Amino acid sequence: MKRTLPFIIILVVLGAAVGSALYYTRATPGSNYTPATPTATGPTSPQPEAVNGAPGADPPYTLGPPNAPARLEEFGDFQCPPCGMFHPILVQMHKEFGDKLQITFREFPLAPAHQHAIAAASAAEAAGLQGKFWEMHDLLYEHQNDWKDKFDVRPVFEGYAQQIGLNMDRYKRDVAGEAVAQRIFLDRKRGDSLGVKGTPTVFLNGREVPFESLPTEKLRPILQNTINAGGR
Amino acid sequence: MKLYVTAAIISLAGLADALYLTIEHVTGQSVRCTIVAGCSEVLSSQYAVVAGVPLALIGAAAYFGVFSLATLAAFGYRIAGLLLTPLVVLMFLFSLWLIYLQAFVIHAFCQFCLFSAAVTTALTVITLIAVLSSRKTT
Repeated sequence: MKRTLPFIIILVVLGAAVGSALYYTRATPGSNYTPATPTATGPTSPQPEAVNGAPGADPPYTLGPPNAPARLEEFGDFQCPPCGMFHPILVQMHKEFGDKLQITFREFPLAPAHQHAIAAASAAEAAGLQGKFWEMHDLLYEHQNDWKDKFDVRPVFEGYAQQIGLNMDRYKRDVAGEAVAQRIFLDRKRGDSLGVKGTPTVFLNGREVPFESLPTEKLRPILQNTINAGGR
Repeated sequence: MKLYVTAAIISLAGLADALYLTIEHVTGQSVRCTIVAGCSEVLSSQYAVVAGVPLALIGAAAYFGVFSLATLAAFGYRIAGLLLTPLVVLMFLFSLWLIYLQAFVIHAFCQFCLFSAAVTTALTVITLIAVLSSRKTT
């Protein structure tokens, strides 16, 4: 008995380790997303109910028409590397699906983990007050690596503001202003109410799209199916 | 003997940590940014994968190896005790390199990786004490 006991203990631990690993990799929360399939007959399978949550900044910054069958809402942080990687994917989806897809951006700056996240969100929101949110949004994401490790990002963001032709006096006032802070606060509040814990978190017609479904080749069929199903 | 039992128990903490990171890696959660700083930078870096295998999985295998050898050694298998020392020392050196990468290359620390380094350090100390004390007694 004494000779076999250590092997039994080792096997039990191995079994527990492999078992828990398999269990958690199969049943991750949020990965039960089943895109609505365009079946012509019969009721569609029950979908998780779309959640509403707190309203967020009003009006939100969107691309595409509000009555698009696929309405995608991203909670993003301009300093977050995976958000930066997701940006070109969304640009591509916007190009491919045109007015069938509406994209909404919500500020979810992960301070203090990302020391410049709030400054970046403020720059985008300040540009938004002059009607150039998406221009600043694109610049921040595309040049993320240029500024995320800098000590002082203010001159960099002011450079972007100049580049997209903002009124600089107004930008400098707005970036530290109450309106911008309030919009970021409201978006964060909406994210919190929807259970957003990290970025990017993406909702499609109110249902969370699991993080592992965000690469282009996975997101495209999900969007296509949703559009084919008329947004259900 | 007691030292090997302690090493086996501590290695379980390392195993759990490495398994957690493996699961996060496989499900893609590890690369999402969260309030906790650093992990996303570290775990989405090129160093998180070795030849297509998540580093966390290699770590889990290493901790399982330590657990197995320490358990066998605790039950009096001398050869297991002898094999344990080079494995733990190797893991310790590897942990040092990973901390160097986090500090000077990636410029971000991930607390789960640091916990693993702490576990490995504790295992190294225990194993070395076990080796030294067994030399004294023989």
